[in-house]
Amino acid sequence: MKQSVGQILGRGGIRIPLILWTIAVLYPIFWMFLGSFKSNAEIYRNPWGFPETLNWQNYIDAWTNFNIGSSVWNSFIVTIVGAVLTLMLAIPTAYAIERVNFRGSKYLFTLYVSAMMIPMVLGWIPLFFLLSDLHLLDNIFGLAIVYAVSQLPFTIFVLTSFISTIPKSLEEAAAIDGLSPYGVLWKVITPLSMSGIITVTIMNAIQFWNEYFMALIFLQSSENYTLALAIDFISSEAQYTNAWGTLFASLVIAIVPVIILYAIFQKRIAEGMTEGAIKG
Amino acid sequence: MVQSKKQKYLFLAFCLVPTFILFAIFTLYPLFSGLYYSFFDWSGSSSNKTFIGFGNYIKLFHDAIIPNTIIHDYFLVVTKVIGIMVLAMFFAVALTQLKIKEAPFYRVVFFFPNIMSVVVIGILWTFIYNPSIGLVNSGLEFIGLESLAKPWLGDETWALPSLVLPSVWAGIGLFMLMLIGGISNIDKSYYEAAEIDGATQWQQFWRVTVPLLWPQIKIAILYIVITTLNGSFVIVQVMTGGGPNNATHVMGSYLYQQAFVQFNFGYGATIGVMILVLSLLTVLILQFFMRREKVDY
Repeated sequence: MKQSVGQILGRGGIRIPLILWTIAVLYPIFWMFLGSFKSNAEIYRNPWGFPETLNWQNYIDAWTNFNIGSSVWNSFIVTIVGAVLTLMLAIPTAYAIERVNFRGSKYLFTLYVSAMMIPMVLGWIPLFFLLSDLHLLDNIFGLAIVYAVSQLPFTIFVLTSFISTIPKSLEEAAAIDGLSPYGVLWKVITPLSMSGIITVTIMNAIQFWNEYFMALIFLQSSENYTLALAIDFISSEAQYTNAWGTLFASLVIAIVPVIILYAIFQKRIAEGMTEGAIKG
Repeated sequence: MVQSKKQKYLFLAFCLVPTFILFAIFTLYPLFSGLYYSFFDWSGSSSNKTFIGFGNYIKLFHDAIIPNTIIHDYFLVVTKVIGIMVLAMFFAVALTQLKIKEAPFYRVVFFFPNIMSVVVIGILWTFIYNPSIGLVNSGLEFIGLESLAKPWLGDETWALPSLVLPSVWAGIGLFMLMLIGGISNIDKSYYEAAEIDGATQWQQFWRVTVPLLWPQIKIAILYIVITTLNGSFVIVQVMTGGGPNNATHVMGSYLYQQAFVQFNFGYGATIGVMILVLSLLTVLILQFFMRREKVDY
């Protein structure tokens, strides 16, 4: 095929916006890493360049002055408990809705799915008092339950579509071999939908790890802070103490696990989110 | 399957009931009782909860800040839809139609901000806008436009528009992938036919790509609108807290301030009802206007 001069120029030219946007995305993230190794004086003197030395003091400060270790631990617990609980609640329901014939299964599915479109902010006020009555306010396990239920609609939605791809004959064969429905669910359906389970779990985990607003409302004492709240706190402190380096270090601590997950599961995460948005 | 009715119902109950109970307690009940609370004047303790009928709704209509929060929300909706759709569409077409070897690299990079925490995004961009050390003002100085440098997030006129860029920055990747998915499903023969008919690239884009991509475009727009109306307050809370002088308050951040800072829980719930009604209405109206005959060539 012959290419006109215009086409060649066009192809080269199209790269310019692509490269510019790449820089716009990567540079702030990169800069955050650089800033975490600079002293405050250096941040003011040279905010956007490379650090003079590799200085770990900011990480030490974040750990000792702001007790960020306990926030990392809290975030970790909330993420794991929330993600496991979501699965425990969602897998049986997704299976029953997709494969067990019962009246109202369509309505139940619609109810769960339409909850994805409802602004939950209205519910947060009553939820605050409900958690308080249940002694789950300012409690990371209470927060994990709230997180798990908040991701139920999305998780059920993704898992039903996964389970629908499993051939029915496999279940029937297992039932003929004498497996109870519980056994079918646990030994046939769960392993066969593992790919979908992994995808939603990674996405839920990232969601829980990153979540900020519910944590802001439902957690109060600083020893229960998740990482997002601790960062917010360090950020507002930094207005007065100018501890920017420490703030950068804590941002890096928050983002590194997400980068690692993205590096391993990039395809799953991107596909899962796109599918979820399209079908939702 | 050999299985008695009773066993089947037991199994169903095992599968559905625990999940539904938790969903009812932590999702359905709060939504409905939020509706109920909106009819009370209530500062949090049970003793001073008084039924005031539509009192909060009347207050809502007379609250001078409310119209501004609604305008701010829809300003973000419109600017985000335009910003994200134009850029996402441009990148999607560029990465699919033109054969670029390193396209997968761009996809991976552009998507990453979508999974970053809003707190991280917000703080990062607060720095980019920082008046003394921020990238925006340094950049303006560098190209000799110092006069345009300003304390972006502290300026009543510029604070709200300044929130658009981080939202677009963080949102593009997902919608770009949605559009790429749609474009790769379009049969190549349409473009070949258009080529033979002498259609320019630009005509091909408007006459072939856009109509055939309409389902994805529609979903993308709806998704941006819903997530903005239901969640714009998070970035507002992180970056400006609604300030300066209420210039960036959106409905959700104003609800947070009323309920959890000033302890007007009844009034906060009323704002919540307003958010619910407005976002459902907006989605219905949009769906009506974006209805299009399905295109089949």
